[in-house]
Amino acid sequence: MSSKSIYDYVDHLPKGGLTVNALKSLDWVVPGQWQNVVGFENTIRAVTGETDEALIQQIGDRAVTLFNDKKEGYQRALWLYQTVDSASGALGAAALANKVGQDISFLGILKNLTPKPEKAQSIDLCVKLVVEIVAFCQINGIPGDSIGDFLASLKDYGGESLMRMAALVCFDGLIPLGPDFATKGLASIKSMTSSDLEHNQTFKGVRELIPGGNSAGQLGFITESFESTKGWMDNFVSSKGLTPDRVVDNLSKFVDISKDKLDYLGAFLDMYVKYYEHTGIQTLAHRLIERSVAEI
Amino acid sequence: MISARWRRVLIPVLLSLVLLVSACSQSEPSRFSQTQEETSKRNAPAAVAKGAEQGSTFNKFFPDSASGYEVVPAQEKNGFAEYKLNKGGKNVAVLSINDTVGNPSAATKFQNSTAKIGGYPTVEQGTTGTAVLVNNRYQVKVLSRDPSFTKEERASWIQKFNLRGLAKLPAATSSLPKAQSPKTAPALPGRLQPALNPT
Repeated sequence: MSSKSIYDYVDHLPKGGLTVNALKSLDWVVPGQWQNVVGFENTIRAVTGETDEALIQQIGDRAVTLFNDKKEGYQRALWLYQTVDSASGALGAAALANKVGQDISFLGILKNLTPKPEKAQSIDLCVKLVVEIVAFCQINGIPGDSIGDFLASLKDYGGESLMRMAALVCFDGLIPLGPDFATKGLASIKSMTSSDLEHNQTFKGVRELIPGGNSAGQLGFITESFESTKGWMDNFVSSKGLTPDRVVDNLSKFVDISKDKLDYLGAFLDMYVKYYEHTGIQTLAHRLIERSVAEI
Repeated sequence: MISARWRRVLIPVLLSLVLLVSACSQSEPSRFSQTQEETSKRNAPAAVAKGAEQGSTFNKFFPDSASGYEVVPAQEKNGFAEYKLNKGGKNVAVLSINDTVGNPSAATKFQNSTAKIGGYPTVEQGTTGTAVLVNNRYQVKVLSRDPSFTKEERASWIQKFNLRGLAKLPAATSSLPKAQSPKTAPALPGRLQPALNPT
């Protein structure tokens, strides 16, 4: 899957740009949880708090070794994070291929954007959520001795992982589907056939790693996962007072957008804000370094 | 007008300039590039030795939540388990056990240790880590994640592990313990089995 080193990925994370700005606009949702730490050595220092060069060398070497062993699951997690982002925006990006290299502004490309139908948007949301669960298991295993332990470790989400979930709720839920996105998403996925799922671009991208055996089983798994996390999402929205308006207001401080074109905004974010890959690489590096410093 | 003769001279000069500039602009190789090369080639040794204990074996030796501290499961990998230690919802330390089989430098650092915790040789690593080695093989480590969590607290939390229980697991031998079937991916509970395992 991957022949690039983990330090290559982490060293090349952008310090600015659309994705980073869009994530910064969510700081009010999860205050102080996410700093855009980029660079492999920086990440080692930030995670461990260590400054000794020899120790940093040992930690980095161990992390590189663990990442390169495909059996350890890290490369699969990376592939999931990357693929779920690129697959969901692929159609739109193809239509805009001639814009590559030009400055991308929301209004500048508005006429090229097509809002995704609600059904496709709902599938995207569900598939991204499932990818989060599967990638979590690839990176962390199934920690603890029971399902309760597993759920406790999911609840302990913080930092870039919590930011990724905030972005999922805001950019793939609230903006394209509205305040009752979770209910809508669940209703939509429940009324879906496995053939609907098979035709969805985002699902196609990651289907080989989604549990369930065949697409009917996978649909079941997706529905179940969505159902069990819906409560968490609803609570997240109500406890933080999240509304599409507030999300868009804050986003407009960081990204040049127009507030009256919500449908198009969803399509725009889908294409240019690669928050799953960005924060996914950060999560992966974080957990890998955490393990490395403990193992050396 | 540049004469043909000048052009003949100019072109090689420009070419070598271009080469020089592009050579200089190439970034230095990473300090981790040697490890990258060694561990990414075909038939590179596994990151975790085949005979290593599964992370799940270690769960029962971790301390329980107590007196305002919450012990939360964080990672369970091949030869490794990790729990977070949280206080008031804030992560203050990380607790871990790992099997040093196949990762010998992790064990050899204890060789010159004279200090002991709970009867096991101990070392300090960097400014945030305290570790003991059980059975010459299992490393139990506590890492501070907040400056308020002191070296003394690390030592005290190491003693909260069931170190004697851990010592009942197979000790290090000159040859590796009998190989277990390799774990290709973390197993998912119940219906959470992956459809495929592409690697």
